[in-house]
Amino acid sequence: MIKIKTFPDKCSGCHLCEMACSIHHFGVVNINRSAIKVKKEDLTNGACEPVLCRQCKKMICMESNDHDFSDYQNQFSWDKSFMDSCPFESIFLFKEELYHCDLCGGSPKCVEVCSTGAIELRIKE
Amino acid sequence: MYHSVLAKIDLTSGTTNLISLSEKILQQYMGGRGLNMRLLFPSLSRPGDPYAPDAPLVMSHGLMCGIPSLGSRMNISARSPETGYLGDANMGGELGAELRSSGIDSLYITGHSPEPVYIYINNGKVEIRDATQFWGKDTVQTQVKIRKELGDDQIKIGCIGGAGEKKVRFAGVRTGLKNMAGRTGMGAVMGAKRLKAIAVRGTNDISLFEPQEYMACYQKIFSRLLKGKWVQALGRMGTPLLMNNSNSLGFLSVKNNQSTTFGDQGKNLYAEKLEKHSAGMVSCVSCPAHCRHRFQIMDGPYAGTMGEGPDYASIGSMGSKIGNSNLESAIYASELCNRYGIDTISTGSYISWAMELFEKGIIDESVTKYPLRWGDQEAIIKLIHQISNRQEFGDILAEGTFAIDTLGPESDRFLLKIKNLPIEMTDERATKSFALGMATASRGACHMRSRPSLDVIGLPEELLRKVFNGDISSSYLDYKGKGRIVWWQERLNALCDSIGVCRFLSVFSSPNAPQAEQFSELMYLAFGKRFTEDELLDVGERVCTLERMIMIGNGLTKDDDTLPARYFDEPVKEGPSKGEVIDKTEFNNMLEEYYALHGWNNQGNPEPETLKKLGLSNLSTEEISFDKN
Repeated sequence: MIKIKTFPDKCSGCHLCEMACSIHHFGVVNINRSAIKVKKEDLTNGACEPVLCRQCKKMICMESNDHDFSDYQNQFSWDKSFMDSCPFESIFLFKEELYHCDLCGGSPKCVEVCSTGAIELRIKE
Repeated sequence: MYHSVLAKIDLTSGTTNLISLSEKILQQYMGGRGLNMRLLFPSLSRPGDPYAPDAPLVMSHGLMCGIPSLGSRMNISARSPETGYLGDANMGGELGAELRSSGIDSLYITGHSPEPVYIYINNGKVEIRDATQFWGKDTVQTQVKIRKELGDDQIKIGCIGGAGEKKVRFAGVRTGLKNMAGRTGMGAVMGAKRLKAIAVRGTNDISLFEPQEYMACYQKIFSRLLKGKWVQALGRMGTPLLMNNSNSLGFLSVKNNQSTTFGDQGKNLYAEKLEKHSAGMVSCVSCPAHCRHRFQIMDGPYAGTMGEGPDYASIGSMGSKIGNSNLESAIYASELCNRYGIDTISTGSYISWAMELFEKGIIDESVTKYPLRWGDQEAIIKLIHQISNRQEFGDILAEGTFAIDTLGPESDRFLLKIKNLPIEMTDERATKSFALGMATASRGACHMRSRPSLDVIGLPEELLRKVFNGDISSSYLDYKGKGRIVWWQERLNALCDSIGVCRFLSVFSSPNAPQAEQFSELMYLAFGKRFTEDELLDVGERVCTLERMIMIGNGLTKDDDTLPARYFDEPVKEGPSKGEVIDKTEFNNMLEEYYALHGWNNQGNPEPETLKKLGLSNLSTEEISFDKN
């Protein structure tokens, strides 16, 4: 299985990961239409952090819903009813649509455009 | 290429009109600096008052803003209160990209609001809102408070601080913690209009012509760029890495250019010394290089100072230029300028001028009220407060070049300036191409209009010939071919400023960096419009020539394309560039070579065929209204 690991200290806040995500899934550039979000303290200490689905083994997000997680694990658009279900706030609502990282089917586009190593692909047997 | 919208806003009446820009104007000027110059041409190409109610202030994002690119930059332009001539400043950060997503691409602002206001742009809607409660706040407080009022922490803001409100002639417009449209006093124009800020929120989709192919092409360019030593060093140290070169080669302004090296003292200002205060690097939108630190000073008298940057220009201006070798105080002083919203470069230049006047006895404590000695940290900080608040001696310096009227004709020759804009943190007596670039820059003494750094990295003449298509001396001390280098770089930089690309990610210190060929590929896949490399470079030429026409319309001539007397008359006294001086005849030869390559005559006036080729023939006589374009 694969995972994307984040290293917030390395994030420079360039937003290229968000753009790559929206281009891959929608064919447009829109940093809000993305399953990865760069959180920035842009008026305090400048710190940045990429946030996205952690691919938890035990999907807490599924607990309050009567769903089979395997149906959702690889899906990008989730039902809005899951909105507050992630304890890490790593799924994102934009214009009534909820976005969850589907790892681009195994080849995450965000990782390809990260020049700092703030998001890295980890492959586990 | 895309549906580009200009908001024409009159602050006197509080009215707004939205106008679609034509395909033709976009293809000719692209955005950013080029588009701003085209929009300003009717009012800016004749003398005028920068503070007149009908004097326009224009803001446009670069064409490639908001998409994966090489930076994401915008321009703010108007008649400069600092010079009286062409005012224009380019800035990075996030505001340009946000404008692009908002559906409003340019702002054309006229009028004076009776009360302080700010402009709120939210996905195509433009609202003029009361800013009384923000008046008097610094540039960070203003951004925080506007976000709070509008209930959205994703809003991007460009604003002025107290200095802009008080029309300090070199006040800028600031966004985020670091970026600033710093030079030529655009913040003072906002202050005169009683415009505290523009606040922008955009969540619109941006379409690409061939999205997947665009990303493949972008990643190819991006990967190659990141392999370059220059970009790698920039990403590690930021622009302060240039301090070492400047100090050790004698390119630095020290004590108002009385010297060009700060010797061992200068080492205190090197990039390596900044690293201990750094908590990481940050980028502008769409920049893979991340050239600025986010810093916090943890101990000593300046403990608690935090922010982003500072860049080489600010360290030089608050450091060596004013005889200050204390890095922490230079960082603190730079941050103070940022908070008040004044240009660190001009501020350092005017302080260094005042310090030399004090040293020479042209002014004394009866004028300044306290000693102004080189490197006196307390005096520097006090003076920044006084300038920004227009108090006591600071009120005189807040007038910039116009302070000569108060300080007397004897003070004039000690203010090193070109077209009323002061010389910066560097000295160009050794570097002949840099000297010419300063003399010809359309906004006055400015290193960003050209600064052909390929000239100073010792490239072999064979390679220089290949890059610049002419004979160039590989010694930066030599004049041969330097008119060509400056012309070449001016054209490219004008293009970069119009498409929103950072010049550090194009040809700055590497001849292999992305340039017209790569921009052409990206622009086709983004907009579906294929430009040849020559057509793109013609955009740069068009912008340079249009700016030339603006300069000529304001009465500037070949005589103004010159350097401060110190550059011609005083050989460098000591250090690695000892003995270097600019030879007037050689300088004139370089200048005329440069004019000819631009297609201008030997007096610097564009030839009729140049105007025709660039589609500028009718602009000189016709009273053009931008909304008819």
